[in-house]
Amino acid sequence: MSKRQLQLLPLMLLSLALSSMAAAQVADGSDTMRVGDMQYGNALDPRGWTPVMAPGQEGFSWLHAGMLRTPTGALYPYPRDASETPLSAGSDWTYWGLLQLGYIHLNGDKNAEFFRQYSDWKSGFALGYFTLNFDNRRTGQYVEFRGSRISDNDQYYRLRAGKYGSYKLEAFYRDMPHTVSTNAYPIWNGIGSTNLTLPASLTPGGSTPAQIAAASAAAPRRNIGLTRTRTGLSLEGELYRGWVGSAAISNEERKGTRLWGGPMFFAFGGLAGGVNETVRPIDFSTTDINLSLRKVGKVWRFVGTYNGSFFRNHKDHLDYQSPFQLQNVLGLPQVANIYQGEYSLEPNNDYHNLRLDLSRELKWNGQFNVAAAWGTMRQNDALRPPVTCSGVIGIDMTPIGGPNYTVPCGNWNTTAALSQKNANARIDTGLFDARVNFHPSTNFGWHAGLRWYKEDNKTRYLAYNPLTGQYGYISENGSQGSIVPGETGIFDPRNPLYWSSNVTVRNVPYGYTDTLFELGSDWQFGRHDSLGVTYTFDYNEPKYRERKRVDEHRIKIAWVSRSLGDATIRASYEYAQRRGGHYNYDPYTQFFSESLPGFVDPATGLPAHTVADMRKYDLSDRNESKARVIVTYPFGDATTVSATFYGNRDNYSTLIGRQNTQSTGSTLQWDWQPSPRTTASAYLGIETSRMGIANVGDSDAADNGAGLGTPGQTNPNLGGPLYPYANQWWEFDRERNTNAGFTLTHDFGRVRTDLSYNYSGSLGHVGYNYATIGALAYRGPGAAAAAGDGFPDNKYRSNTLDLGINFDFTRRFGMRLFGRHETGSFTDWHYLGLDQTLSYGSRIYTDKGPQRSYSVTLLGAMFNVKL
Amino acid sequence: MTRFRPFALLITGGLLAGFVMVDVRAQDAPASAATAAAHPVPMLDLRKQAPVQGNPQAGADKAAVCGACHGPQGIAIAPNFPNLAGQSPTYLYVQLKAFKEGQRSDPVMTGQAAPLSDEDMRDLAAYYASLPAKPAGKADASSRGGQLYLSGDPVKGIPPCQGCHGPVGQGPQPRWSSAPQPAWHTFPRLEGQSSIYVGKVLGDYKSGTRGGSTNGKVMQGVVESLDDTDIQALSTYINTL
Repeated sequence: MSKRQLQLLPLMLLSLALSSMAAAQVADGSDTMRVGDMQYGNALDPRGWTPVMAPGQEGFSWLHAGMLRTPTGALYPYPRDASETPLSAGSDWTYWGLLQLGYIHLNGDKNAEFFRQYSDWKSGFALGYFTLNFDNRRTGQYVEFRGSRISDNDQYYRLRAGKYGSYKLEAFYRDMPHTVSTNAYPIWNGIGSTNLTLPASLTPGGSTPAQIAAASAAAPRRNIGLTRTRTGLSLEGELYRGWVGSAAISNEERKGTRLWGGPMFFAFGGLAGGVNETVRPIDFSTTDINLSLRKVGKVWRFVGTYNGSFFRNHKDHLDYQSPFQLQNVLGLPQVANIYQGEYSLEPNNDYHNLRLDLSRELKWNGQFNVAAAWGTMRQNDALRPPVTCSGVIGIDMTPIGGPNYTVPCGNWNTTAALSQKNANARIDTGLFDARVNFHPSTNFGWHAGLRWYKEDNKTRYLAYNPLTGQYGYISENGSQGSIVPGETGIFDPRNPLYWSSNVTVRNVPYGYTDTLFELGSDWQFGRHDSLGVTYTFDYNEPKYRERKRVDEHRIKIAWVSRSLGDATIRASYEYAQRRGGHYNYDPYTQFFSESLPGFVDPATGLPAHTVADMRKYDLSDRNESKARVIVTYPFGDATTVSATFYGNRDNYSTLIGRQNTQSTGSTLQWDWQPSPRTTASAYLGIETSRMGIANVGDSDAADNGAGLGTPGQTNPNLGGPLYPYANQWWEFDRERNTNAGFTLTHDFGRVRTDLSYNYSGSLGHVGYNYATIGALAYRGPGAAAAAGDGFPDNKYRSNTLDLGINFDFTRRFGMRLFGRHETGSFTDWHYLGLDQTLSYGSRIYTDKGPQRSYSVTLLGAMFNVKL
Repeated sequence: MTRFRPFALLITGGLLAGFVMVDVRAQDAPASAATAAAHPVPMLDLRKQAPVQGNPQAGADKAAVCGACHGPQGIAIAPNFPNLAGQSPTYLYVQLKAFKEGQRSDPVMTGQAAPLSDEDMRDLAAYYASLPAKPAGKADASSRGGQLYLSGDPVKGIPPCQGCHGPVGQGPQPRWSSAPQPAWHTFPRLEGQSSIYVGKVLGDYKSGTRGGSTNGKVMQGVVESLDDTDIQALSTYINTL
């Protein structure tokens, strides 16, 4: 919005308010075409327009003294004082612009992960800001360009043009970095590709821990992260007599790396598998298309939209070599040397959605809205073979008189081993949403709504190998069955070795139907108070879940008051009660081989799927309370103080599972704008949250109940042989986050200064309790003694101080000097010890984690030219 | 009485202005701009202007010269001069102040206002505000001017004049609102002003010669969307209010 529009806006509103005659319908300016980013900024200036914010003396309006406030009392910022220049003598076009070009210098721990997380800081020349704008006051046409560049991976440019009330177009390009680690030491060659190979110093499947540790120590440091490159183009304009159409296309390329896994079965508790922290490639494209057509008629309003999103993964798998020598638990000669692993990464996805919205005005100042939408998501990539191994997998127990559990890789390392060649995955969605609202008087209004949404997962896949007549899939690249006899992951109704293997053979096509009814009303009491009450009933029918029906009643009461002096108080409270139908702790039988013909129950029966007393948190009975109070208090024309207090409480009715969550927080903000030359603000926010979880370990060994492998393993109940009370444990999570900030700007005339300080800190604690030592994974006396009652605290803190000074040499030329000093500290028990070595027995890690503490200084000088 | 001697010039100047209005307007703009460039005049900020009070009787004593153009009872002797009778006292005061301080320029009035004290300006304003306004005419609300005045033209971005000047030109009549209010009392009453005078004023706003105050800035924004036909239609309509 141009300055002239800002000036005219209050007058227009005022005039319309005073006028008893309705104005004709003006052009609808909704942004249905938008697919680009809402915000264009970077670490130099997250807002994206600070360099041009020279507040004008005239304030927001020629009509009103001082600054205007929002309806709730917050001050609007002073608008920009733009001095526009005619393009040529007598021209209707004016222009203004700014070029900010200079040098940035970094000093200190400039490679610290948290410093670089979302910015690609580098010492060198940078385009701080460039903007050029053209306006035609007579025709309403405009052209705007702005951009900024810190580096090749951190830049944005946007062009907008159009004519107010007629058409507009936008084109943009931006690169955004996202650093995951600056402290990674992967041992593999081929980082960023789909094939990770070990260095010459290591033997795949045959290296010693010492050799692996040496290779890790010699590995060079790498950054792990990605860059998002987004481009887009959108158009919008009137097509024919009030019919407005829009078309937009955007594309996002994500390229880089990410820390990833690489399992070769467990390497804990005496199991000789291998755990690899690998690095996977990121090479994604997402193309979004948005088309819309809308018409604002005298009675009806219509919007039709099509959204298409097309995701492509150009590196859809990851092959990796594992250095570890696998060893079966029986100590028999290892006939399978499994060292090649493969991940199938995200598949391509096509998404289409068609939506129609209709609305019209009704009597009693009412409105009727109805929307219907249909969408579909489809994936149909060619499937990859179950394994990539050669030779055999498994264990041959014949030397000790046992069965031969080996499986030829040739039966599984080909796409011929698949029941279908392509995924043929599809999820369809449907939506119907109708709503009416009436305001028969200025003091009373009510609304009602009905929303129906369905997600229908049509994907059906059966893991069946036509080459062997077996079901299931080889687990962990064949490593699991090569360490534990028979745990290959397959079911064979004709082979006694595998006819009791209860393995997953079908995908679970999760879906749901949700119906939401809402009824609400609001009353205005006098001039200063209003009360709103809304009741909603949510009826959810999940598919293939523990409950066939989940319903929730919710009531919300909101009160807004201006009756306490100049303060605006907004308070709300809501209470919800979730219940549902019968809870079936195991609805998944049909997806396991136990449901197939020829399955033979083990002599001791099938172990319970899970403990019957567990209620999953998204389905369990729950009582929820939420309360919030927001107070905004204006002091005079220049100061606003606002405070927010809120609390949420959830209680779950279950013996096992999530027990409760609660969060409590408050914010306090002070804003001061005594004049366009001076602004200041301060902010403090604190939030604490807690979560309680109850669980029970299954009795998988002699020292914690020995239920597994006995007839008692079929008992799913808490307190039974498989889930004894002695194995219960409880987790207590708590977290506290604190943020604080202060800003100050002052304009001395030819010199302008700005200062800001920001603090961010968090404390996380995971505590636990357990009934007996039987609940622990490691049950030795030493482990129990070391367990204590919680993990060490996780702490994160950062302090950032920014200082800037702008000098105007002339009306046109100036200089900006700025500096940032950032410090941080970080402690996370997940990373403890990794700064010493990344190699622990049969486990090799890659990321040493963020720096324990860092300090970095950034200095910059930018030459300013007003265009 | 010495201090009111300059008012004698008002008679002659006012008459001259009536005959050569167009030329003066054309010549005044660059001269004003040049003056402003040499000696920048701070903008007259009326957004916090308090309602003005003065002594009408004292004002009557000081208004003898003014009446030469604006009429003995504040009804102008010729259509190129504004009627002052019944006008908002605050509006009258800030206009005199603008002439005196230079935000508004006129070959006659600039000189007349120069020696006035603040008290003089308040008294004169109070005096003319106390006089009965010109009787209302028969306005045609269906005319183009009536439509512009009462409803504006949203397509062209023209707000209705009545929003600030009242439905019949007798000044704004705001409804109660908790929102911040403009300084309503600084807005002029338009009823009965001649079409020639209104046309001149709107032309001044459009040419930029009357943008020295915050209210002037508002009017510049409004008039920018008016073409010559609109100005003519509005002037004619306001003349009949």
